[in-house]
Parts: sequence; structure tokens; C-alpha cells
Amino acid sequence: MSININRPCGTFDRNYFQAKEIYRTPLRKVLLAILIAGIYLLPFFTGDYGISILTVICAFSVGMLGLQIITGYCGQISIGHAAFMGIGMYTVAILQKHFGLSFWACLPMAGLVPMCIGMVFGIPALRMKGLYLAFATLAAHFVIVYMISNWRSVTNGTDGMWMKRPGPFLGIDFTADRNYYLLVLTVTILMIYLATNLARTKMGRAFVAVRDNDIAAEVMGINIAMTKIWAFGIGCFFAGISGALGGAYYEYVNVEWFGLDDSIWYLGFLVVGGFGSIFGAIAGATVWKVMDEFSTLVTPLAETFLGGAAFYASAAFSLIFYSLIIIVFLVFEPRGIAHRWEIVKRSYRLHPFPY
Amino acid sequence: MEETIKSVVLGLCSGGIYALLAVSYVVIYKSTRVFPFSQAAVLIIGAYIMWYCLIPWNLPIWLGFILTCMGGAILGILVERAFMRPLVGQPILAPIVVTLCLMLLLRGIGILLGKGDIQGFGESFLPVGAWKIGFLHLPKIQVYGFILCSILIVALMLFYEKTRAGLGMRVVHEDHVVAQNLGINVKRIFQNSWIISCIIAAVAGMLLGNIQGVGLALDVNGLIAIAAVLFGGLESFTGAIVAGLAIGILQMLTIQYIAPLLPGETTMMIPFVFLLLILFIKPYGLFGLVKIERL
Amino acid sequence: MAETIRDVAKKREQRYSYGLTLLRECIEKRRSSPRPDHQDAGKKVLLRAENLSIAFGKLLALNKVDVEVKEGEILAVIGPNGAGKTSLLNVISGFYRAQKGDVFFEGRRITRSPSHKIAELGLCRTFQNIALYTGLSVIDNIIAGRHPHIKYNFLTGMIYFPWANQEEARQRAIAEDIIDFLELEHVRGSVVGMLAYGLRKRVELGRALALEPKILLLDEPMAGMNLDEKEDMARFIIDINEFLKIPIVLIEHDMGVVMDIADRIIVLDFGNKIAEGSPDEIKSNPKVIAAYLGAE
Repeated sequence: MSININRPCGTFDRNYFQAKEIYRTPLRKVLLAILIAGIYLLPFFTGDYGISILTVICAFSVGMLGLQIITGYCGQISIGHAAFMGIGMYTVAILQKHFGLSFWACLPMAGLVPMCIGMVFGIPALRMKGLYLAFATLAAHFVIVYMISNWRSVTNGTDGMWMKRPGPFLGIDFTADRNYYLLVLTVTILMIYLATNLARTKMGRAFVAVRDNDIAAEVMGINIAMTKIWAFGIGCFFAGISGALGGAYYEYVNVEWFGLDDSIWYLGFLVVGGFGSIFGAIAGATVWKVMDEFSTLVTPLAETFLGGAAFYASAAFSLIFYSLIIIVFLVFEPRGIAHRWEIVKRSYRLHPFPY
Repeated sequence: MEETIKSVVLGLCSGGIYALLAVSYVVIYKSTRVFPFSQAAVLIIGAYIMWYCLIPWNLPIWLGFILTCMGGAILGILVERAFMRPLVGQPILAPIVVTLCLMLLLRGIGILLGKGDIQGFGESFLPVGAWKIGFLHLPKIQVYGFILCSILIVALMLFYEKTRAGLGMRVVHEDHVVAQNLGINVKRIFQNSWIISCIIAAVAGMLLGNIQGVGLALDVNGLIAIAAVLFGGLESFTGAIVAGLAIGILQMLTIQYIAPLLPGETTMMIPFVFLLLILFIKPYGLFGLVKIERL
Repeated sequence: MAETIRDVAKKREQRYSYGLTLLRECIEKRRSSPRPDHQDAGKKVLLRAENLSIAFGKLLALNKVDVEVKEGEILAVIGPNGAGKTSLLNVISGFYRAQKGDVFFEGRRITRSPSHKIAELGLCRTFQNIALYTGLSVIDNIIAGRHPHIKYNFLTGMIYFPWANQEEARQRAIAEDIIDFLELEHVRGSVVGMLAYGLRKRVELGRALALEPKILLLDEPMAGMNLDEKEDMARFIIDINEFLKIPIVLIEHDMGVVMDIADRIIVLDFGNKIAEGSPDEIKSNPKVIAAYLGAE
């Protein structure tokens, strides 16, 4: 599996700048530009329903990227990711309500506050590995949800809070869904850019080193304590931004949106998407949202099937269906959709040879 | 002072069930090194099976008990065969995600079984009322539950110590590969651990359903038992029992002293704060084994 | 840059300087940084470990061991299995904490320093059972080894252009130098987990080199290799020692290799240092013979 298979034929590197490039040939750069332009133009062709799906996919992608950084790159298992997304959402809502800040000012805070809290919860990660960290994040999730639910004066408890969309910018009015989608898309692309660069620079390599062999990493000059804490911090930063974007779309936040189930789905769909790659995170988020929509569609069918018993069938359906999908992927394709996609690309490139 | 003693004694009674749950986690972790988050949801299934036996089908209590145990055993076999066995050899994250998803899967099945409602047992199948000893008010349900849990735990301990199968499980805990080379059927041991654990969890679910009502909220108890397992040490039965009782006492004391101070459902949250404290202070628990890594 | 490498490749025939040009520049730049340089005629002591003792429970792994490594020499540590050689390396590199004794590196006390600081100071080691980053490719492993010497923080890294871009290219050039030197070009892009054992040992050596070491601690670099590979590895070690002027501490079981390339030898047995000296002295030392072959 040498590097030659991953490159189009005939590309040779003349200097090290070229060797590092992700999109190596001019053709690929053009294709990338077309793809991005296409996604920008997509809302003009789909109705409101399509726009809502795309917006939520983008918001989920950013959150998944965060989890990918924590778990996929750095190997720290985090079962509390949905709680950090919630902190991001609530930060924006609280700042808007109690301090009257605009959305633009709140957005960085929506990233920074979960980042700091995440770094605090990363401290137990320094002493523990794998399983123990899963417990710590599980407990963290419950504690955070409890605090949000019960700090009534600030967070309005379980009633939820209202969130305002960003104010007009350069004359674009963001109360329209399509314009807001373009904003979310821009932020998402920025986040993907940052995450890709993170993965291929010093910090990203340190993350992977800590994941693969952290004792050796320590002896090789990488400060694993700071690396793990930074992994948590940056991952939770992404989660907070994701929460802010998603919450502003619905213009309403409620603590019931991020229960333990959602944390587990985050982890599970990240597995489905594939660990250790940016594409995997986005694929996982897309699959999740598509499954969401699918289960919403199925519910009326269930009603015709089961009659009045359907109202609980929909709740059970998502639980059972998603779990089965995740488990099936783990059993049959543990490296996820990203790996399958690599195989598809490779077989296309090597056609008609099998390998 | 009286109140404290009352809380402590009540805590001991309810702690018995937590101890049973903690033991069910430890049984699986000891042999397979997979932490079965899914046992929290087996509680729900066990409670619903008992409910089905008693109320819609109107079977006698002992038959319901046996059916619950059998249901737990079948569930254990299914889970182990279908979900855990294909995962051999994958990194540590895979079983964790699978057991978490199993927890949600079983919860979904529980919703289907129970048609989404919380059911009561009608009259509890254990005698109601309470005994009064001095100033102590011992509800009979709790005490009978405690006795049942103790019997089960003692039986399990005897099984582990005295029988050959139990010896096999102890060997497998030390080293899978060595055990296999010594002729012990490691897969069968894994299966037995899952069966035992699911039976225990189903019985615990049955008892909890009696006390708290048969519904979906039962799995929070399972998660609280995780705190107990960590407190006692992931690989130690003694630790699990002691810690289970301790968590029970902690809960009762919380109800007594902390709940008036803080809003909301503190009884479900304080064990998690306790869990975080344990992980900060003594991550390997009271009786756990510390792993030293060699390079 | 391309010209330099082509020149260097031309000189490969003369075993004088091939590969490692960029790395040598980095190391010499660090060495010439303003510090009082004692140019005494004798050799300066670079690493000094005094009175090291460490016990695991009742097992005394090291018992009052003194080690001195002078500049530019190859020091071999030999001894039967269980003598505490790897423990000695672990204690010096900060992986274990010594219960008694001190370690001084360039006059600075490093006994209680965390391992990554020690690595930054220039004390690098390889592992007996290879500890590479199994998910990364060979070139990525070596660049990962460059971690303490890469000069951008994570924010500029995320933005990437232009600072991180330049720096990444430079680091890649240095890593390619090391790959040239260790003759790993043919497996440059392979994921490390798929390589053969001998190649992995070489990648491990490359990663240790990438840290710009001032002293290298090698833990059984020739274990499990045939004669050919051993000669290759010995050639690399000697080249590192002569060309980059890095003293090397070597744990090795193969007596032939040790006698050939070591300047000085230390013999450990059950945690005690029982002999020290040049290869000839050690060969005829009765205590050493007793330890290896058993006394009568």
C-alpha cells in the first residue's frame, strides 16, 4: 500500500511543498472548487426542507470534527460530546438574553466556553486511559446536563431558551433560511479547513502519536499531558461552535436535545463514518442526519401498520435502528465509510486490476 | 442522628441491589475485559418480563421469577453470540461503542415491550408494609430484596470459588491466551459470564421495577451502579459489593441532607459527582488492580 | 537544496559524508549556541549517572550504578538477561524515576525532569520492543520525531499558510535526509505497521535521530537480525558517531559487534556494575566470564 496508489498517474514532486499537498494536480483543485461552488448553489435548487437538512448536516459535521479530533486522532474516548455542544448552544442563548450581545460576538464565546470546560474535563484524561476516560466523560455529561437543567435563573431550566439569528451583515438578512445556510456553510468550510491543517501539522501528529503509543511519545519529546488537554480543548471548541450554529437555526435551545443518547450517537456515527479522517467525520454526520430524516419518514408508515401504538414506536425505532446500523458497521466495516470510499477510489484508479 | 442511622440502614437495603448490579458488571469485565454498559438496559428488560408474567399472563410469582431468569439467560446468549463474538481482536473502542449502542437497543426493545408507559406491578409481588425496630422503619420490600440479592451474590461467590467452571473463569481473567493454551474453552467462559451477568441484571431489574415502577427510568440505576463498580475497583467482587452498599448509603444520605439544598433530581446526579471524585483521587478504586506498563 | 542533496549523493562513494547534511547543520547550530565551551584535550563527560538505584518491590533492578559517557565515544552496556540494562536506560531517559542517585546531562541535573524535557535537551533513545507510531507512515514517524524542534504553535499551524507551510517543507527535507542516510527510501510511504522487523528498527533509529540528539541511547538495535542487517546497522551507528559526533550508549547481546565497535564497555549483572573498561580488558576479566558462563 505505497503512496503511489493514492496519486493520479504521472505526478512527480519537484519540491517538498508539492509533496505535502492534498490536492496535488490542477484537475483536483478545479474539482474541489466546483464541489464547493456546487454546495453553495445547492439551496437555490432544493426547497426549504433540503435547506434544513443541509444546515443541520453542516452543524453536525463541525461537532463530529470535534469528536474526531478527540477520539479519532488523539484516541481519548469521549461519551460526553453532546453535552459540550449543549454548553455552546446555551452560551450563545445566555449571552444573548442576559448580556444582549450580538450573535457575532457570541460565536467565538460559544467555542471558547466549552473549550475551557472541556480542558478541565481533560485533566482526568491525563492519568487515565481508554475505559476510565469513558467513565469520566459519561459522568461529566450527566453533571453538565444536570447543571443546565437546574440552574433556572440563568438557563431557564428545562423550558429552554430562545436564540436569535445573527443580525444583518453586509445587507444580508439571516432570518431567511437560505441566507443562514450560506453562513453556516461558510463557517463549516472554515472549520474543515482548520481541522485539516491541524491534522497535518505538528499538533495533529502529536495527537496521533499519543493515540498510537503515548509512552513512546513522551520519551520522544511530546508533552502528552498538554497534548491530551489541547485535544479535548480543540474538540470541544468545535462542539461549541456546532451547537451555536445548530441552535441559531432552530432559534430555540432545549436541554432535552442533548441527552446521553445523543452522546452515544455521536460516537457511534463517528465509527460509521470512519476514525482518523476528516472525510469520516463529515460522512458520519451526513449518515446521522439522513437516518434522522429516514426515521421521521417511517413514522407515519408505522402508524398505518400498528395503529394507535405508533407514537412510541417512533421513539423505539430510532433507538433500535441506529444501534443496529452502528453495530453492523462495527462488526463488518470497523474502519467505516471513509475506508470503503478509499477502496472505491482505489479500485477505480486501478481498474481493471483487482489490486 | 436518628435520621442518619435511618438513612444508613435504608441505604444498606437499597445498596444490596446496587451491589448485585455492580457484581453483574464485574463478572463480565473480569473475564472478557469488556465493560458491559448494556447491563443497564437489561434491567428494563428484566422488569418488563416479570411484569408480563405477573399482570397480563397472571402467572404465580415463582414462575415469573424463573421466566425472568431464563429470559436473562437467553438475552445473554444472544448478546454474546451476535454482538460480542465478532468483535474479538478489535481495539478497545469497538466493544465500548457496541455495548453503549446495545444499551440503547435494549432500551428501544423495552419501549416496544412496555408500549411506552410506566407500569406498576399493581400490588407488589413481595409483601408490603414495614417492620419497626426501635425507631427504624424497614420497608419489607427493601429487606426482602436485600435478602434475595445477598443469596444471589453468595451463590455466585461460591460458584466462583468452589466449582470448576468458576475456577476457569478466574483463570481466564488473568490471561486469555494462556487459558486457551491450557485447554480452557475461553469462548464458553465468555458465554457463561454473559449469561450469569444478564440473569443477575434481570433479577435486579425485577426488584427495582417493584420498587420504582417498571419503566424506562430504570437504566439510570444501572449507570449509578457503574459508579459503584469504579469505586470498588473494576476487577474485584469484594469491591463491587462494598461499593454497591456504599452507593446505596450515599443515595439515602443525599436524599436526607443534600436534596433539600439543591434543586432537581440530585439523587441521580450525586453518584456521578462521586464517580468523578473517585476518578480524580483513586482511579483504580478501593480494591482494583493497578496496571504497570512496560516498554 | 536540491543541489546540496545531489552533491551529497555523488560523495556517497567516499564514506565521508552522505546524507544527514541538513541534520548536521541543525545539530552544529545548536552546539555553537553561546555556552562556555571547554576545549580541553581530554574528553568531556557528557552524561553522568551517579549511584542509581531502583527497585520494583523487592526486585532490585539497579544497585548503585555509576555511568559516565564521554564525548564522541561508543559505550556498550552488556550483561546477562535481567541485569538491568534496559532499566538503566529507562532511568536515564526519565521513563522510570530512580529511587536513589542522580543523572547529570551536560552538567545539568535531569533526574526529576519529565521525559519530554529530557528528550528536548538532546537525550534520545530507541526501544527494545519497537515503539513506533503504528498508524503513521515512515516519513510521518520521522517528522513526528522532529516535534520539539518544529517552530510554530498550533494556531499558526491551523491557519497553515504561510508559516506552517514553509516549516513543514523544511522538516520534510530534514526527514528525507535521514531517510537517505538510513537507506529507507523504498519504504518511505509505507505504514509502519506493515514493515519487517529490521526495517522497523531502522525507522526507530531514524526517529531518534530526528530529535537532534546530543547523545543516543540504543536498546538492542541489532536484536533479531541476520549478519547482513547487523553489518548495516553497525555501519549506521559508526557513521552517526563519527559524522555527527554523537556519543552512543549501546545495549547489545552480540559480543562480536560489541567488541568491534565499542570504545568502552560496562558490564552489569543483577543490577550491579561488575566491570568497566576497554573491550580487551573486559574480554579477559574473570568476573565477566563468571557472570556469563557461570563460576565454577
